[in-house]
Amino acid sequence: MTQPQKRDQGHWGAWAAWRAQHRAAASTSWQKLVVQPVVTAVTWLVIAISLALPSTLLLTLDNLSAVAGGVDRSPQLSVLLTGDSELPVAEQLQRILKSWPEIDDVVLLDRELALSQFIQQTELATVVGSLARNPLPHTLVVMPGPALSAAAMTELGQRVQTLSGVDRVIVDTRWVARLETALQAGWRWVLALGAVMLMGAVLVLGNTLRLAIEARKDEILVVNLIGGSPAFARRPFLYLGLWYGVGGGLVAALLLMMMTWWMAGPVNTLFLLYESPQTMRAPGAFYPMSLTVLGGSLGLLSARLAAGRYVRQLVSLASSQNR
Amino acid sequence: MIEFDRVSRRFGQQDALRNLNLQIDDGEMALLTGHSGAGKSTLLRLLLLLDRPTGGQILVDGQSTKQVQGNAVGHYRRRFGVVFQEHRLLFDRNVRDNIALPLEIAGFSLHDTNRRVRAALDKVGLLAKERADPNGLSGGEQQRVAIARAVVARPEFLIADEPTGNLDPALSVEIMTLFEAFNQVGVTVLVATHDLSLIARSRHRLMTLAAGQLMQAGVA
Repeated sequence: MTQPQKRDQGHWGAWAAWRAQHRAAASTSWQKLVVQPVVTAVTWLVIAISLALPSTLLLTLDNLSAVAGGVDRSPQLSVLLTGDSELPVAEQLQRILKSWPEIDDVVLLDRELALSQFIQQTELATVVGSLARNPLPHTLVVMPGPALSAAAMTELGQRVQTLSGVDRVIVDTRWVARLETALQAGWRWVLALGAVMLMGAVLVLGNTLRLAIEARKDEILVVNLIGGSPAFARRPFLYLGLWYGVGGGLVAALLLMMMTWWMAGPVNTLFLLYESPQTMRAPGAFYPMSLTVLGGSLGLLSARLAAGRYVRQLVSLASSQNR
Repeated sequence: MIEFDRVSRRFGQQDALRNLNLQIDDGEMALLTGHSGAGKSTLLRLLLLLDRPTGGQILVDGQSTKQVQGNAVGHYRRRFGVVFQEHRLLFDRNVRDNIALPLEIAGFSLHDTNRRVRAALDKVGLLAKERADPNGLSGGEQQRVAIARAVVARPEFLIADEPTGNLDPALSVEIMTLFEAFNQVGVTVLVATHDLSLIARSRHRLMTLAAGQLMQAGVA
């Protein structure tokens, strides 16, 4: 016959008991996900979209930043000579410009060398080979002194433009500055969008968990009556939040990889337009791992907020209902 | 031992319990009776710390329940097995999982849990229904599952609030026989009931509550 006893669990220590409770809560919560595949899939997708969209933009910006970072941004002028200017004319202009006090150095880019580099970087040998003549002009890259202001650069460009044999003068650093400014704005936009979407994910998850708590109201009340702590009552919902979050993170990683693959073409073309030899970087292990950890953390946070509040409310309600 | 020392519970202008003094010794079985609103449920709720007295104190094994706060409330409640009139079974769990709940809370191993659940089911005569859905059980069987859940963790005290309220007389006797069996092995049992047939056949101490006060105590 059953004998009354104090809490005697034999060799079964507190640590083992704690682990058993967690194992049971984790397993029960997972089973709840499995028996509701539609709810689970929709919740995972909502979290995944909230995580994947900012992550994809972040990855794109990361790639563009690498391009901008790889560009030499010291102020310089590209002096394009007329198409009929021969090499001796270009060398003479180089000597003239080198003698100017405000100029540090002048590098001559031979058009034949420039063409071979272009073919090497763009793999457009077939197209270039079909041309009757080299379309590139000889180019002088002018490096002015470091103290030159933007206005002085413009004035220098105008003076160089007047020299015989010069077709066009380009201030090369402008596009880099524009790209950097656009990237800075992009980072902020992605961060703001990411914050809003994560907040949305927390709210959606919180609401899903609140409904799950409502559905298991009786269990919480019984657990409270027979001596379960609030932590014990909350635990299955914390695991539920964790599974939702981790699952959402994994789906987000999958979406990110799919979107990266889909975006690689246009982004690589963009790199080419900015004369960068690199291609779009794949998410690697960092992004999927970060998304899974972030998803899990969001799930736990949402569950902690929702379960903490609603379980407490239900326990208070239990006391008033039993009156 | 459970002792109510001048315990009062007031709701607004109304006294649910008024300067109540009573004592239940270790290993005793007692019946608590009285009309609806006499204070039976309030007394049990105060004992289970679902509510707190507005006056006096409750002592369990000499310790005042006033000192039981926060996380200690859960540990305190685990000393009690509780049976309700409406069973309070969880209908999304099978019989085994319902009975295992107090053991999960106490952190028993799976092996011990299975062993104890089967032992408790054997005591209430439902071993064959271990994997059954509670929805498919009769009222008497559901109440026996609730009793198995109440005793599976081997509590010191077994508290029952109108445990036979929804049962026919034959099943009520069966349930009371189970309580007596647990009492015989040392469990302190307190049954709140207004089932006169049960009271008439009981050989245990009867306490009658009226208007929040103990009117009469003696063997039924």
